[in-house]
Amino acid sequence: MAESSNSDANSRKRRKIDPDSQTRWRSEAEQRIYSSKLMDALHHVRRPGSGGHDAVRDAADRVLAASARGRTRWSRAILTNRLSLRLAQINRKHKKAAKPSAGKSCSRKPAKKLPPVESKVKVLSRLVPGCRKVSLPNLLEETTDYIAALEMQVKAMTFLTGLLNAGAAAPA
Amino acid sequence: MEPELEPPQLQFRSAEMGCAFDDFHGLISTPQVTGGSSFTALLELAPPQAVELLVTEDFPAKQPLPPPIFPTDIGLIHRASKFSVFASADNSMESNTILSVSNSIPVKQEDLDADSRRNSSSPAGSDQSLKSGKRKEREKKLKESNKKSKSKAANDDGEELPYVHVRARRGQATDSHSLAERARREKINARMKLLQELVPGCNKISGTAMVLDEIINHVQALQRQVEFLSMRLAAVSPGIDFDLDSLFTVNGSSNDNSYSGMLAPPICTEGQLDGARQLQLQQLWHCDELHQSVWARETDTSNFIAPANSLLSYDSTSANSGKPVAPRCTTS
Repeated sequence: MAESSNSDANSRKRRKIDPDSQTRWRSEAEQRIYSSKLMDALHHVRRPGSGGHDAVRDAADRVLAASARGRTRWSRAILTNRLSLRLAQINRKHKKAAKPSAGKSCSRKPAKKLPPVESKVKVLSRLVPGCRKVSLPNLLEETTDYIAALEMQVKAMTFLTGLLNAGAAAPA
Repeated sequence: MEPELEPPQLQFRSAEMGCAFDDFHGLISTPQVTGGSSFTALLELAPPQAVELLVTEDFPAKQPLPPPIFPTDIGLIHRASKFSVFASADNSMESNTILSVSNSIPVKQEDLDADSRRNSSSPAGSDQSLKSGKRKEREKKLKESNKKSKSKAANDDGEELPYVHVRARRGQATDSHSLAERARREKINARMKLLQELVPGCNKISGTAMVLDEIINHVQALQRQVEFLSMRLAAVSPGIDFDLDSLFTVNGSSNDNSYSGMLAPPICTEGQLDGARQLQLQQLWHCDELHQSVWARETDTSNFIAPANSLLSYDSTSANSGKPVAPRCTTS
């Protein structure tokens, strides 16, 4: 599966994602790295009183994306989205009164094609972060990697939760 | 009656063979006359005899065919020479090479010729290919193969390569569009297979839409799980001695250099318990059933946590506002 694209011909061609994404995300070492980084991130997340689950979840996702080493599209999207989202929110507050949205008045044309496969592909592209305008084969590749990464995330978080629960239950 | 018939036939055949041998020798002696392929050389000799020679060469094992009918039109003979099965081995090789080269866009014409040769070679094997009626049938077949038809043979082609090296299947359209579409479809199908293996329970389902449904459900379930777990983590984490767990993880993961550098000070203060904790953590990590392992070792961890609390003088009631690790250690 790991057929290298023409790196010698075009340097700007996309590098293939998988040297077996499954084995990469399922290795114990990866899980260990992720857990330790997650613990570190959780330190920094703690805000007085409002350590909301969303913040924890965002931290978990960011750590997951970081451990992907930036080779996948969804990981890059997660890492850049947090920053751009904040910026966008700030900008929106400032610019709300200034600009009327003129360009957005053109309504969406009625979509002719209603094939069920097409609509499902759109739903899937919305689920995977950063893959809205991605072609179908690339989308499927990203989904493969994303599913493997999510499974690892669930395993690691389950482990950590258990660990922390055990630690908290004892002295109490 | 019968014995009378036989000798003339035998004589005829021997005469034929005699003529054939003579022609053969003639062919050998005069190859440079034509300077072209062997077909034209044969044609120049004498059309009927040349054809007969080649026909008998090609079908030695088959039943004795009746002497072919020879049209007098030379143009017809030229076209027949192209279509017929002379040197069938060479023809097939040529057609294969032509087919395999068909990766570039001007594929149509080459495949036309290859298709014509291929299509004509097989039926020509059984028929006599010199009748004009047969020729018309063959031309019809050519036209049919050029139209967009469904794939017949199950030849392997279209492997995943950087360029679109797709071999035209037998009977399939050889448009550049359809070739590209086919390559694209095969890419998509390969990735769908991978996904099917990854998502449990997708192997039995057939059909792209259902498989996509399963994939979407799986991704949504995983995301919900992550959210649920993050809620639990958020609920659990305020009352926990983070320092302890970071020590656990430092001992466990030797890969993270940044961690070891950051947390080196706290480790040396508690050097006594390191060995035990390392063992603990390794045992925890190597267990497959996470829940069982955690709950089994609950008592063990509690033993370690209690003395650590006294050592570190960590106040669980005070809200942690993201204090870095280092200052906390200096206080202890």
